[in-house]
Amino acid sequence: MALLEVRDLYKTFGHGRTLTPAVRGVDLEVERGQTLGLVGESGCGKTTLGRVVVGLQEPTSGAIYFDGELLDGRMSKPEYRRRVQMVFQHPAQSLNRRMRVGTTLSEPLRLLNVAPRGEVEGRVDEVLRLVGLGPEDLKRRPSQLSGGQQQRVAIARALMPEPDLVVLDEPTSSLDQSVRGRIIALLRSIQEERDVAYVFISHDLSTVRRIADRVAVMYLGRIVEVAPTEQVFEDPQHPYTKALLSALPSMDLDNRGSRIILEGETPNPSEIPVGCSFQDRCPLVHDRCRREEPRLVALPDGREVACFAIGDPG
Amino acid sequence: MTLLEVSGLTVGVEHSPHALLRDVGFTVEAGQIMGLVGESGSGKTMTSLAIMGLLPVGIERRAGMVRLEGRDLANPDRGDVKRNANDLTMIFQDPRSALNPTMRVGRQISRALELNQDLKRADAKSRASEMLGHVGIPGADRVARAYPHQLSGGMCQRVMIAMALACRPRVLIADEPTTALDVTIQAQIFDLINELVEETGCGVLFITHDLGAIAEMCDQVTVLYGGQVMETGDLRQVFTDPRHPYTQFLFDAVEREVDPRIEEKDVNFALQGCRFGHRCPYAFDACAAFPPLFEVGEGHFASCFLHQKENLVGSS
Amino acid sequence: MGRPADPSRQEGEHVSTADPAPDAKPSGFGRGSGDDGKSDPFEAPEIAGETTRLPLWRRKPLLIAGFVILTAFVLLAVFGPLFVSDPRVTDTANTYEAPSPDHWFGTDKFGRDVFARAVHAARLDITIGIVIAMAAMVVGSTIGVVSGYFGGWVDEGLMRITDVVLAFPGFVLALILVAAIGNTIPNVIIAVTIAYIPYFIRLTRAQVLSERELEYVDGAKLAGNGRWRIAFRHVLPNSMGPSVVQAALVAGWAILTVAGLAFLGVGIRPPTAEWGVMVAEGAPDIMTGQWWTALFAGGMIVLAAMAFQFIGDDLGAEGV
Repeated sequence: MALLEVRDLYKTFGHGRTLTPAVRGVDLEVERGQTLGLVGESGCGKTTLGRVVVGLQEPTSGAIYFDGELLDGRMSKPEYRRRVQMVFQHPAQSLNRRMRVGTTLSEPLRLLNVAPRGEVEGRVDEVLRLVGLGPEDLKRRPSQLSGGQQQRVAIARALMPEPDLVVLDEPTSSLDQSVRGRIIALLRSIQEERDVAYVFISHDLSTVRRIADRVAVMYLGRIVEVAPTEQVFEDPQHPYTKALLSALPSMDLDNRGSRIILEGETPNPSEIPVGCSFQDRCPLVHDRCRREEPRLVALPDGREVACFAIGDPG
Repeated sequence: MTLLEVSGLTVGVEHSPHALLRDVGFTVEAGQIMGLVGESGSGKTMTSLAIMGLLPVGIERRAGMVRLEGRDLANPDRGDVKRNANDLTMIFQDPRSALNPTMRVGRQISRALELNQDLKRADAKSRASEMLGHVGIPGADRVARAYPHQLSGGMCQRVMIAMALACRPRVLIADEPTTALDVTIQAQIFDLINELVEETGCGVLFITHDLGAIAEMCDQVTVLYGGQVMETGDLRQVFTDPRHPYTQFLFDAVEREVDPRIEEKDVNFALQGCRFGHRCPYAFDACAAFPPLFEVGEGHFASCFLHQKENLVGSS
Repeated sequence: MGRPADPSRQEGEHVSTADPAPDAKPSGFGRGSGDDGKSDPFEAPEIAGETTRLPLWRRKPLLIAGFVILTAFVLLAVFGPLFVSDPRVTDTANTYEAPSPDHWFGTDKFGRDVFARAVHAARLDITIGIVIAMAAMVVGSTIGVVSGYFGGWVDEGLMRITDVVLAFPGFVLALILVAAIGNTIPNVIIAVTIAYIPYFIRLTRAQVLSERELEYVDGAKLAGNGRWRIAFRHVLPNSMGPSVVQAALVAGWAILTVAGLAFLGVGIRPPTAEWGVMVAEGAPDIMTGQWWTALFAGGMIVLAAMAFQFIGDDLGAEGV
């Protein structure tokens, strides 16, 4: 049984005339101690999906199973918070700028009843060391730390209640390139040591490649492809995945300019066309794509793709 | 042909002894794209502002020369910037905030034309529409009547490019033009810039922190850190054979594991010597002085004392 | 201070919202290597530990002037009364004496030493000004954070009430309230405080509205904070910036309001030594040439209000 299972999840914002479906019928699994990379561009719904999984947002419909149990509006309970945590995109913003690091870190322990009073200090020190910071940082405020250090504090905060799953929403996108690598390495070592599962949300495929075991590609609220990481990168199936990978600027000097350039732009989430949401930009589009929406279908090698041209979800 | 020549550019905060940019120099050739790469705080944006004469209040240019097609742009004040729009224009990182939110985009372009090229209103209008079509905007006339907030980020960036290129500048400075955009849109914009360079023969100074983008787009590259040029030269040379410890560190960070000896420290502007000195695992006593650019290959330079002839180990 | 934060959560957008660092960083460049390329490139970077700019007294001369004057007043208010005579002592033999070495500010129509009265009044007025400003700030920001953070019909209701209160000019409102509840000193304080509370409600609420969209609020939720704790422990402290600045200004206005009420005869009553009372009593004397009975008190009102104004203005200009 997977640690996290999401079934047919929908999240729609707005009411009456202006409905914005951010997540449309998503199925997902995350195994214990593994990393699922969730990739896509703006408006694809990956952040919303992450927030729903963590419990910051209630789903409109669909089911979430955590460790075998169906979550039924129990998501904001302390028990869930102890087991599922989140790291956000903007480190400076995700920390209370008026609170010292020590207070920020001890808060979850106290509020979520994770450790008895006497142990709080010890636990904080332990996690601080784990993320590569030192006791001198306890007294500091976020503004006195660099971006990388701030993110380490945010990661430490997420780890305080010893969660089983951490959702990371673009955790390195706001950081310098040289710092990114270190944070990724840190996350990996933490995963090994603590057996934490990650949902790593990012628009940056090259970063995802360095940490994810499996990758799910999202487009306009739906998952269009799921497969083990290397398979996605070496042999992408869905036309959108192909275009996404091809658009990635790479340091490989011999491959310049041989890119698939997609026409047009991502449609507005509140104006999704009938049928496959990718129809207006897809090089493989045909009639059926304009009438029906393809669902994720398992291919013989175990990966899943949502495209009429690839697998046939008839 | 060299279109833009920057040399010895030194910029600092008023009343402070420290320099934000120190002895920065590079050139932009016709029909070529020079990449300026650096992390945040490296001074790359400051460089572009210094070239354009748009340094913020409180920051002064202390030394150095900026020449456009041989002409000295010495200390242009605000008035001169306008005159230079036919020669040198700039596009910025966040397209939506770089456009005037209260003016229709078509009008923004046509105004630039009226002011810089002395076109009459009607002529300016039609050229503006023409430019919008040229940068790949479908339904250019309709888009021309739109306000920036009605357009997507990618569209706004195209509008900015249209505006920048409408006056047929000799040099275009692009400061992180696609950082705020999706990667598939980024690919479109890169394509567009390449096309335009081929067509007009203008030169581009492409500023970014993204090494992949540099690899895709640029012909030459200059690596900046702490306001100091670390390495500069032909793209292929620098990328396949980086000679400055900082450049190597940067490439390592992206591709593989970083040298653990290099600590995560902020830039120290108080350093009188090499700006990477406080983190460099190869630093030695010579590094206390400010390193000039040493030639390490043809047209390839690195500001590192390891390359000073006396210091070269083994046969040269 | 209170620079609007970027509420955008659009995926793929990298807009940094790092605030300028008020504390000095241990080394190097400004706010950390996180994201400076995306923060405002048009701001002069701060090189920590260095006086990269002109000293404070040259950058914000009014702020310093205001503090100097205010400090003088506070010292006067605290220690002054110990050194002067009783302001209530009358001396009918020596009424209307012009300022002299015996009576620095002269005597009034009852022969009371004007300087002694002015000093005692300083204690009263400065205290009142500060008390009103603090009370209005505390009550106003509490209401503001509840309104802004919880929203809904609570917000709607509170905003409509605030609108009604703000429909009255502050002075008129204070007047009406004092007429209603009586003009003892505590009542005057309450009335004027109520008149100023709405400013703080609005200020705090506005700040709260943008703060609550920031990621640290989500972080606090995940750390186990309940809604009330988030509102008061996390959001409110971060929303107080503009209110503190406003409080400085309100202190000055409060003194003016209290003095004005006294002048009209509906505020604090004589024989209490209060600047407004002194001006009220001494105003007719100007006609007959005894300028000292009203002018010194009036001058102190102006000076005190000005000091608070300077502080409030310059405090807000560049941010705390």
